[in-house]
Amino acid sequence: MKTLLPWLLWVWMAVVIWAAFFYSPLAAGFIGQSSRVLFFHVPLAWTAFVGFLAAAVWSARYLFFGRRLRDDRAAAVAVEVGFVFCVLATVTGALWARIMWGAYWNWDPRQTSIILVLIFYGAYLSLRGAVEDGEKRARLAAVYALLGVVVTPFFFFIVPRITYSLHPDSVINSRGEVDMESRMLQVLLAAFAGNAALFFWIHNLQCRLRALAEGKARP
Amino acid sequence: MWRLASNWAAEALAVFAKDWRCEFRTRYALNTLALFAFTTLVVVSASLGPLGTSAARGASVLPVLLWLILLFAGAAGLPRSFVHEEETHTATALRLAATPSALFCGKLAYGLSLVWALELLVAPLFLAMVSLAVRSPGLFVLVLAAGGFGLAAGSTLIAAIIAQAQGRSTLFAVLAFPVLLPLLILVVELTRNAVAGAPAGMALHQLLLYDGTVTIFGLMLFPVVWNP
Repeated sequence: MKTLLPWLLWVWMAVVIWAAFFYSPLAAGFIGQSSRVLFFHVPLAWTAFVGFLAAAVWSARYLFFGRRLRDDRAAAVAVEVGFVFCVLATVTGALWARIMWGAYWNWDPRQTSIILVLIFYGAYLSLRGAVEDGEKRARLAAVYALLGVVVTPFFFFIVPRITYSLHPDSVINSRGEVDMESRMLQVLLAAFAGNAALFFWIHNLQCRLRALAEGKARP
Repeated sequence: MWRLASNWAAEALAVFAKDWRCEFRTRYALNTLALFAFTTLVVVSASLGPLGTSAARGASVLPVLLWLILLFAGAAGLPRSFVHEEETHTATALRLAATPSALFCGKLAYGLSLVWALELLVAPLFLAMVSLAVRSPGLFVLVLAAGGFGLAAGSTLIAAIIAQAQGRSTLFAVLAFPVLLPLLILVVELTRNAVAGAPAGMALHQLLLYDGTVTIFGLMLFPVVWNP
């Protein structure tokens, strides 16, 4: 069963990619085929967000429940993998912005906030690089990860005030309704499930790999 | 209960007094902060030229420059309060002598007095040298006070973190700026409002919320950072 799951994930992702191009209709008001980026960009961003949140939960667990290095490892890997997802979300967003807004980068509030999130977790990773001792590194990095969860929500209030956003409504729009063609919504949710599963699969592999490497380093 | 509280306050006060006494022995932080801020101020004023900028452009650009000067001057001097304890190996004695929350408050009070002294020096000089007129001085002073508080509170927690890491001076900037960025955006917006004489609006509430959040969070997590 366990060896079957990754194969199931590959098939799932292949079907999602096929459906993104051939099953889902195009959204109105977008240039050419550009609305199809939705099925790649949005799940990547959501998954990165879930990853960072999971990192904060693991950090809190490390600090307040038992100080197990396993939790610290899980938090660190979640940030690393989440960072890759976040970069991919930024790149796919920029490609789409080139088509729709005419430039890869134009400091739309969404672009501003994603770059701030990237800077914050980049700082987290450089903090981990600057402390050698395992226990101390775990402690300091966990505090910083929790600080991120406290500080970054401020951007949600502040950044939209600086300029207006041209970014399309999120899936749940400002009126609190899901405003999307049902086939598009199916593909989007399937893509999100696939991305999240991919994230946690990579996360699991990385954690086990690192546990093995650390076990070998310590006689 | 009262005894406990007064003990706690005495500890915080003792840390505050100790830091200032150490500071007056070398005047390292004071000199660094004041000279750094003054040099940057001269650079800004000189590069703007004798005519400065137009009033309309100045009202939007100059608040940014003022806060950048304060931020970088703070980053040059504020981390010292904890880095110094690790360098002179006094951190262990301090761990024995004071409860973490009292220590945090004492260090915060020290950082805050440093930032406020810096602002007292820099802000009037800045206004004079770039000839910026402030329409609502009350809001301007309030923003300097509350913004300085946020700067000190954020820096104190980050300073405690980086004091235990390698490459401290560069690491402080890397770690502190993402945390201080919301503060910076808010104070720049509010300073612009003060210069233009516009009402403070929601940004002032958010600034106070930021100050409170960072302080409470610092108090909660500082014991974890401090005690190995």
